[in-house]
Amino acid sequence: MKRIYIALLISSVIVLPAWAEQPQDFITTFAAQAKEDNAAFSNFDASRGEQFFKSRHGGDWSCSTCHTENPTAMGKHTVTKKDIKPMAPAANPERFTNTAKVEKWFKRNCKDVLKRECTAQEKGDVLTYLLSLGR
Amino acid sequence: MTQRILVWDLPTRIFHWTLVLSFAGVFLTCESERWCDFHVLFGYTVLGLIAFRLVWGFVGTRYARFAEFLHSPAYVIRYIARLLRGHAEHSVGHNPAGAVAILLLLLLGIASGVSGWAVYEEVSGDWLEELHEFTSNAMLAVVFVHIAGVLVTSYLHSENLIVAMITGRKRGAIHQTISKNYPLIAMFLLAALIGCWIWAWPDSRDESWLRGIGQELKWSFYFNQRPNEGATR
Repeated sequence: MKRIYIALLISSVIVLPAWAEQPQDFITTFAAQAKEDNAAFSNFDASRGEQFFKSRHGGDWSCSTCHTENPTAMGKHTVTKKDIKPMAPAANPERFTNTAKVEKWFKRNCKDVLKRECTAQEKGDVLTYLLSLGR
Repeated sequence: MTQRILVWDLPTRIFHWTLVLSFAGVFLTCESERWCDFHVLFGYTVLGLIAFRLVWGFVGTRYARFAEFLHSPAYVIRYIARLLRGHAEHSVGHNPAGAVAILLLLLLGIASGVSGWAVYEEVSGDWLEELHEFTSNAMLAVVFVHIAGVLVTSYLHSENLIVAMITGRKRGAIHQTISKNYPLIAMFLLAALIGCWIWAWPDSRDESWLRGIGQELKWSFYFNQRPNEGATR
């Protein structure tokens, strides 16, 4: 019994780093989902993503309200005035490397900006835009 | 000779219901960044209230004291076994199982509040966020168990425990009553809460009526001017 626990412990330590994703992995996942949502889906578009990022979608906030019009720079939380690290992976390599975080924050922030969750197409466009910056 | 006697003093009841409000508030404001400042304020309120309760647990009236309601695990398990068979004895104060829920709520409230503070102040990495979510959800779960326990016990003993937490009165022998209600301490607690809330009311340019009323109060109370007159905000 003890051996099983030790084996589980060791294997979890080995497996853990393998969970870290690359931004490109999310493009793949979003593309698969977008194709499922809409058979006519062809590819993501950085300029569409930029427009989405900077648009207020009928509400009072856009993504850029907090993340600023320049996602390679520091953002500022519009309510708490606290700093937010850059969104573009070129400026902040930690972005889009953890599935749980990506899902959690897209869900929360989309509800704040759009009053609904974002589609895979929208998420893929935004990520494509963010990846196009600072390279 | 049993009758309705005073069991919960006024500070304990004010604590209970303001904690209920703060707990509801903290959960209602956790999903949106829009209410982030209020989430933090509610969280501090939970911590402040628990700090008061910890002190009151040592110096308060009989049934509010930890020494009166905390029992050994074996005692609690035996009580739960009797409860499940439907013939648990009536307790004047907290019953032994309810006491465990209260202890857990206090401990989880502290863990959740402190970890929330640490997340907000960016003390360390992502694990704090996980810890904060875990302790908060665990507290929510204990709240549901606590409410279920209150309903079950109310039914078993034909005594409405929700009303008891409002009036402070439960069934008991006359000699078991607490003699003091401490209304002044309760008023002090309430005044401290309201004072802290007005003082800490988040400033924002958001012109919604709720935020607006608070800002008016804050600036006229503490700074003796209207919100927009100050040179520096």
